[in-house]
Amino acid sequence: MKPRSPIDHTLWLFLVGIGAWAVPGAGHFMIGQRKHALILFVTIALTFLAGLYIGSIGIVDPVGAKPWYLAQLLVSPVVGLIGQIAQNGHYPVYGRPADYAQIYTALAGLLNLLCILNAVYRAYTGIGEKIGQEEEENV
Amino acid sequence: MFDLSTSLLAGFTAPLDIGTNPLSMLWMFPLLISIAVVYKTTRLRVLFLKPLAVEVLILFLTLSGFMILAGIVLNLIVWLAAG
Repeated sequence: MKPRSPIDHTLWLFLVGIGAWAVPGAGHFMIGQRKHALILFVTIALTFLAGLYIGSIGIVDPVGAKPWYLAQLLVSPVVGLIGQIAQNGHYPVYGRPADYAQIYTALAGLLNLLCILNAVYRAYTGIGEKIGQEEEENV
Repeated sequence: MFDLSTSLLAGFTAPLDIGTNPLSMLWMFPLLISIAVVYKTTRLRVLFLKPLAVEVLILFLTLSGFMILAGIVLNLIVWLAAG
């Protein structure tokens, strides 16, 4: 459903942005692009989880690695919770696995930032709903 | 089933063993696939699996080619500077 008034439209854009941040791909899902949403969710979630698996959840470090943490936080607010768990758990982090893990998880966050901006842009221009309808018709 | 999920979860609490040999550079390729998939998904207006797969493959090969080229050039610079 496309909002009509400018205030509704602004609120809608805000909700799409928040949704896209909360769950990768959710912004595209909200504007009706289900295929986009599924592919984005699976890819970003796998990239982030691969990073955690490579370097342990200790690489989400809100104190010792703040710049990396800020990029990781772009994946989802859930990363903040993982950061709290990691702070209390004293999980080992070292060497080459830590480097790779930080790159994987931070890049997952930056890719989600791209998705957030893309979803908001598509919602702003209104092409999201149109593409979603076309995709539904072609299924 | 319980053992499998337990060992899978335990995998997230300790780092993998990755050496500092040239083979460890292969870890960049899954990342390049992720970048190619996400970028192309955000660029394509309507998604059909076959054109998406072709576009992703082309971008992945392009990124891989440039990364390998960058690696060769950097190694060459180090070799020239050191020797």
